[in-house]
Amino acid sequence: MHPNLSFEQAPPISVPYRFFLTAPWFGVAAGLLLAWLGEDAFASRWTPGILAITHLLVAGFMLQAMCGALLQFIPVAAGGNVWKPRLLAACVHPLLILAAALLVTAFLTTESRLFLAASHLFALALGAYVLVVGTALVRTPGQGNTLWALRFAVVGLAVTLILGVLLAQALGGLHSLSLIEVTQVHAAWGLGGWALMLVFGVSYYVVPMFQLTPAYPAWLAKALPPAMLGVLSLWSFQLSGRVDGWQRGVFIAGLATAGVYAVATLYLQAKRRRKVSDPTLVLFRGAMFALLAIFASGLLFVLIPSLGEEAMAPLWIGVLAIPGVFVSVISGMLYKIVPFLNWLHLQQLAGLTQVPPNMRQMIPERAITGQMRLHFGAVAAMLLAVPVPSLSRAAGLLFAASCAWLGWNLVTGVRAYLRFKGRILAADSGHES
Amino acid sequence: MSGVRTIDGRDLQPPEPLERALEALDTLAADEELVLLLYCQPQPLFNILRTNGFRWQETIQDDGTHEIRITKA
Repeated sequence: MHPNLSFEQAPPISVPYRFFLTAPWFGVAAGLLLAWLGEDAFASRWTPGILAITHLLVAGFMLQAMCGALLQFIPVAAGGNVWKPRLLAACVHPLLILAAALLVTAFLTTESRLFLAASHLFALALGAYVLVVGTALVRTPGQGNTLWALRFAVVGLAVTLILGVLLAQALGGLHSLSLIEVTQVHAAWGLGGWALMLVFGVSYYVVPMFQLTPAYPAWLAKALPPAMLGVLSLWSFQLSGRVDGWQRGVFIAGLATAGVYAVATLYLQAKRRRKVSDPTLVLFRGAMFALLAIFASGLLFVLIPSLGEEAMAPLWIGVLAIPGVFVSVISGMLYKIVPFLNWLHLQQLAGLTQVPPNMRQMIPERAITGQMRLHFGAVAAMLLAVPVPSLSRAAGLLFAASCAWLGWNLVTGVRAYLRFKGRILAADSGHES
Repeated sequence: MSGVRTIDGRDLQPPEPLERALEALDTLAADEELVLLLYCQPQPLFNILRTNGFRWQETIQDDGTHEIRITKA
């Protein structure tokens, strides 16, 4: 194959894979913690248990997957060069695991030294990550709306980090803060300014590419990131410690911005040129419907304040957002990215003599479909557990099982890579001898 | 320019457009041009072109199609 071509893919495959392979196990831990805590976890959004579960998902599952994906995505989709990606990943990956574990333990034990230790580790790991990745995104000669959104996402990550470090330091007794207001702003930047912004940028690239849809309209792709940034800036006025009535309008504007993206994605998927369905498409669709459900619920909570003031209201939105939107999107994305990266790197190895294996041979489709069904079942069970907390244990176990299956499917993908790599190298050495 | 070969990758799932492009590059004559139509910017292909002595020109059409015209450098 391609005897006249040489291949060079950056970064090494081990860079994103260490993050991808770690992410699902934080989901397993979150599910098991929910099963262990049972009904108590869902009493309010402020219980130590639910804060620990939330951070296992956002600072564990999501952060691992997103940091790994961005390191891969910058060279492939934005044409940027990340400085020493192997070294960066080798430092940031273990530090983030340790920081997330410390933070979760801090929430469960309310031990102030653990909050401080977690804040230092997050500052170190994510500070270095933002610096290196931000530089790559600023210096790249690439252009386009994916790059545009990725730049906003890194700003979102930086703001989330700063507020998160301040909060952890306040919980560690270092200084005092308006904890509730700063938490509201921290959560909004984390979910809207970092996670959703990254999903915007990645979607602009991978939805047309993998789902064979038309491209996102350029004006919309351009407008969504600054619109979300504007909303988040207005939302940040709460940092003064005062929450005015107009903030309800800002809340709805933020959800509406996300809703516009969801409608656009569903519309493009309906217009796809080849009506082939696969689990990635279904996971993406599920996530988009969850985004629309968040918008509808948010509107209802603002219009009927007595409903919005219920303790279960933020929990309902949280379950829709984190497992419903982000875990779904990330799972769907991983099921495309891992086989594609396997293929790309094997293509490089096989360049001189052999045909690399088909992408579909990397992870069995039946296993992906089964895991996807279990995931949606777990999300439904968690949503039901918000009004019926007695279901919490079952929901937690379902979610843990679904994440473990995702983790195993990714391990299967990596084992396929290693198997094919072994065959290619063996055949090459056979030719040489 | 003796000829133009066109690969419309817009209805193909990855990695098929890249596979077809690589096959075409293998046999591309010095006075031939390869035109690739895609809905995304194929950075992995650009890396391969860069390291294998090809030059390319990219234009983005109104419908979001990236037209990449490749020749030997």
